Amino acid sequence: MIRSVLAGVTALALLTACSPAGGREQAADEVAERLYAALGASDGRAACDLLAPDTAASVADDQPCAEAILDEDLPDQPGRVTRTAVYGQQAQVKLAGDTVFLAAFPGGWRVVAAGCTARGGGRPYDCELEG
Amino acid sequence: MRRRLRDNSLGLVFGGLFLVVLGLQALAGHADFNQRQLTEGLPPISLGRYVTSASFGADVAENWQSEYLQFFLYVVLTVFLIQKGSPESKAPGQSGLESDKEQKIGAYAEEQSPRWARTGGWRTRLYSNSLGFAMGVIFLGSWLAQSIAGAAAFNEERLGDQHDPVSWARYLTEPDFWNRTLQNWQSELLAVASFAILAIYLRQRGSPESKPVGTPHTATGIEG
Repeated sequence: MIRSVLAGVTALALLTACSPAGGREQAADEVAERLYAALGASDGRAACDLLAPDTAASVADDQPCAEAILDEDLPDQPGRVTRTAVYGQQAQVKLAGDTVFLAAFPGGWRVVAAGCTARGGGRPYDCELEG
Repeated sequence: MRRRLRDNSLGLVFGGLFLVVLGLQALAGHADFNQRQLTEGLPPISLGRYVTSASFGADVAENWQSEYLQFFLYVVLTVFLIQKGSPESKAPGQSGLESDKEQKIGAYAEEQSPRWARTGGWRTRLYSNSLGFAMGVIFLGSWLAQSIAGAAAFNEERLGDQHDPVSWARYLTEPDFWNRTLQNWQSELLAVASFAILAIYLRQRGSPESKPVGTPHTATGIEG
């Protein structure tokens, strides 16, 4: 009885908190890198395809997203991925020159916020691009 | 078969109710999680994904740990503490581990006594504390599970709010961990205290958790 309860508790913790995130981390890295590759190639349409719907709508305030995103004040040289964190439906990809936040969608990760700068003092990141 | 079911109806009914209620919790938690997802402009997730999520795990484990803490404390502290008039308490003057004769261990074991109550030595010492030990171990395991799943759920929320995630060790110092923990502990302790005291004056006819209806309020350690 005790053994089965302990096994249940351990399985619960492992199942809920330690499920393999390696593949999901890599997928999040790739989306962040593809965003900056598209922006580097001035391919606004490809960049907008990687945004979460609310974020894309926020970018396309005055003009179409594919044009507006190229005017956003995002880093020209975001650099390579330095650290990735994935928890449930949310991810954070830290690049040498930027921090990108993503969320899980049926087709994969989408960018929720980019061009983010840490503010400290317990306040959230200040992001150029967000929904 | 029918007799076997009736003879074990308490464990079976509570076990069955546990599974039903756990299923209902999963359904309600899933709906709640998806409401928040939609509010944040994010897609809903499947029930399968939810029941393997850190959010569900933390919600389940935080309640488990407090229940087992309650039973652990109740089993162990009632060895030493007395509540005069309560059927949950031993009579005044009987607190403590009691003699081998009273506990029917070693030379005083009976024919039907469990084997480890008869053998003496470490086996009898361990068996003499096995109920409290089991409750304590399950409590610690559930609390650990709560901390691991809670840290992951907390970090999911932090990322959604565009904050950096925190380590497991840092999570143990976060208000979220202690708020989840203490809100459960206080309710369990209140339930035990109120039950021990109300059972002095109130009765439930036929229940072994109550004194017989006509028993005086001053009678201690008598169960119906």
